[in-house]
Amino acid sequence: MQKSHHDASQFTQDQQFEADIVIIGSGAGGGIAAEQLSQAGFKVLLLEEGAYYTRDDFVMQERWAYPNLYQEGAARKTRDQAIGILQGRTVGGSTTVNWTTSIRTPQPTLDYWQHEFGLNFSGDNDLTPYFAQAEQRLNIHPWQVPPNANNAKLQQGCEALGWHSTVINRNVNGCANLGYCGMGCPINAKQSMLVSTIPAAMALGARLISRISVRQLHWQGDSITGLDAVPVDQHFQPRSDIRIRITAKHYIVAAGAIGSPALLLRSKVPNPSGRLGKHTYLHPTVICGALFDEAINGHSGAPQSIYSDQFVWPADRQQPGFKLEVPPLHPVLMATKLTGTGEQHAALMQQFNQLQVTIALLRDGFHPHSQGGTVQLDDAQQPVLDYPITDYLWQGMRQALLAMAELQFAAGAKQVLPIHHDAKLYNSWPEAKVAILQLSMQALKQTVVSAHVMGGCNMSASATKGVVDQNGRHHQLQNLSVFDGSILPTSLGANPQLTIYALVWRNCQQLISSLAQKA
Amino acid sequence: MDRRKFILTGISLGAAASLGSGLAIWGWQHSLAPDSSNRDLVLSALLPALLYGALPEEATLAAAELDRTKIAISDFLPFLPLRQQQELNQLFNLLANRVTQLGLTGHVNTLADLSINQRLQLLNQWHDSYLALLQQAYHGLRELLYGAYYGQSEHWQALAYSAPRFR
Repeated sequence: MQKSHHDASQFTQDQQFEADIVIIGSGAGGGIAAEQLSQAGFKVLLLEEGAYYTRDDFVMQERWAYPNLYQEGAARKTRDQAIGILQGRTVGGSTTVNWTTSIRTPQPTLDYWQHEFGLNFSGDNDLTPYFAQAEQRLNIHPWQVPPNANNAKLQQGCEALGWHSTVINRNVNGCANLGYCGMGCPINAKQSMLVSTIPAAMALGARLISRISVRQLHWQGDSITGLDAVPVDQHFQPRSDIRIRITAKHYIVAAGAIGSPALLLRSKVPNPSGRLGKHTYLHPTVICGALFDEAINGHSGAPQSIYSDQFVWPADRQQPGFKLEVPPLHPVLMATKLTGTGEQHAALMQQFNQLQVTIALLRDGFHPHSQGGTVQLDDAQQPVLDYPITDYLWQGMRQALLAMAELQFAAGAKQVLPIHHDAKLYNSWPEAKVAILQLSMQALKQTVVSAHVMGGCNMSASATKGVVDQNGRHHQLQNLSVFDGSILPTSLGANPQLTIYALVWRNCQQLISSLAQKA
Repeated sequence: MDRRKFILTGISLGAAASLGSGLAIWGWQHSLAPDSSNRDLVLSALLPALLYGALPEEATLAAAELDRTKIAISDFLPFLPLRQQQELNQLFNLLANRVTQLGLTGHVNTLADLSINQRLQLLNQWHDSYLALLQQAYHGLRELLYGAYYGQSEHWQALAYSAPRFR
């Protein structure tokens, strides 16, 4: 019997593999595809740049988790260093380290896609049954446990102001409310790809190769003919001493919205629309801290259990919308984001357990002045994202800081600290309001982060407006699909995992029937 | 001009401007290669400043925390993209040798000769610089150094933070 998992870093000589379907990337897209296609009887080979770590490895320490489970040690930045990007790089991809928030694609987003990109997800193409199947498969339900204090403050602030808030659906089963989702679930409660679809696919005969970096797809005419890959070293840097050659009947790229466009750019695939690697969206996120008299202990308990959509779809559609959530608070995440140096920084860190943090995720990609970023290749052919922040987005971020400060004071905060390098602790909402209106909104002054990378291989009905069609099939290369967040034509206005699960689930059904017809 | 060269030119331009000495472009030839003694020198100077107020007052304890942080930094650096590693190496090599041209007047020649306050002033000058490249150096070092320090469970006493026990 064939071995089901290979660690490519252990290869001592060049290798060749073949399969019916090779899937590059094992996150939300690759994980769903591996199970669906294995169930349909295909010989699946799943490739992952990260390592095959499992729950016994997840020691709930940032110093281990960030270098070992995240792209670029969780220190990935946009080209001008203005936006920090959290993105998983391990078997299960970002689903192994995300905060479990599971939200269906908002209807206004689908409507926008129909209007702008000719994508019709109604009638026969309705995503509802796929959302339902993914929710069932991954045990996605509203979180029944009372929110931790960090989330409760978001809820209380919304209630005090008469703003919308709601309980979050989470993909967990037997969750112990520990609060360490971002470092890998140590009890396999989170229903990530790592513990659900990937082991199921492997039980059906799928093979997994970890610590492998796919460098290039070879193509001729309208078909991919094979791919070249290399092992990565102990620090996940591509090696050059061993080559791995893989051939398959069909190729699925699911390397995430930075990795997938980068691979296709390295492969110089046809790109008549000019959109490959363009229009990359981030839900650019700004942060606001607040000090409370009582303990918040934002490290403890489900990291995200409440959100507010009060501002995500403003009546004036010219305004950028933003979603309000909270992040988990752990020492490295906080220390690197809190502002100041020396005693000032130390004093903030000493109030770690009194700190509540709210985040605002901007809905980018819905306006002519919000057209996203561009994936480029550096000298080592590794991706780097250039994402210029426009005045339109800066103004949205200022509105978001105002909303967060108002909310935190309404929830009883003693002091509020917008995470901007010129901001201070403010003692009242009027004081904060005046100060925020005067902050200079510019790169590296205003801290901006992202945990959601989308776009770069966008889907579109017409080949002139996108890289793949509505089923994730490449417009020019017949045996190539892209099945991950890179196919989204805009950001979502919601955390992306459930959208990716449902779209890829549907795309797999289309692919299975199309391959069956061909056979 | 490649980007790395541009960074160094940018830093020297920023320094020249902040010194009020007009525009001067030095022919920086600092290596992209790692030099652990340069890195150690820079970290030994900057960590006590950035961590002022966080480090224990007792000298032996503080030294142990600094050592642990420096080890954490050198363990972490190889996970960064080569591009960023090279930029950081270059910054360390530059700071180890040419600190006076990075925004401070006077006869001081090395970071180690500066007081803690002057070191913080140096960093804060970069933060306030009109040059994005100096701001990048400020943020890059800040995140790297704070991340390494607060990643160590031995340094969490002041935070009253600990991970739950469950198995």
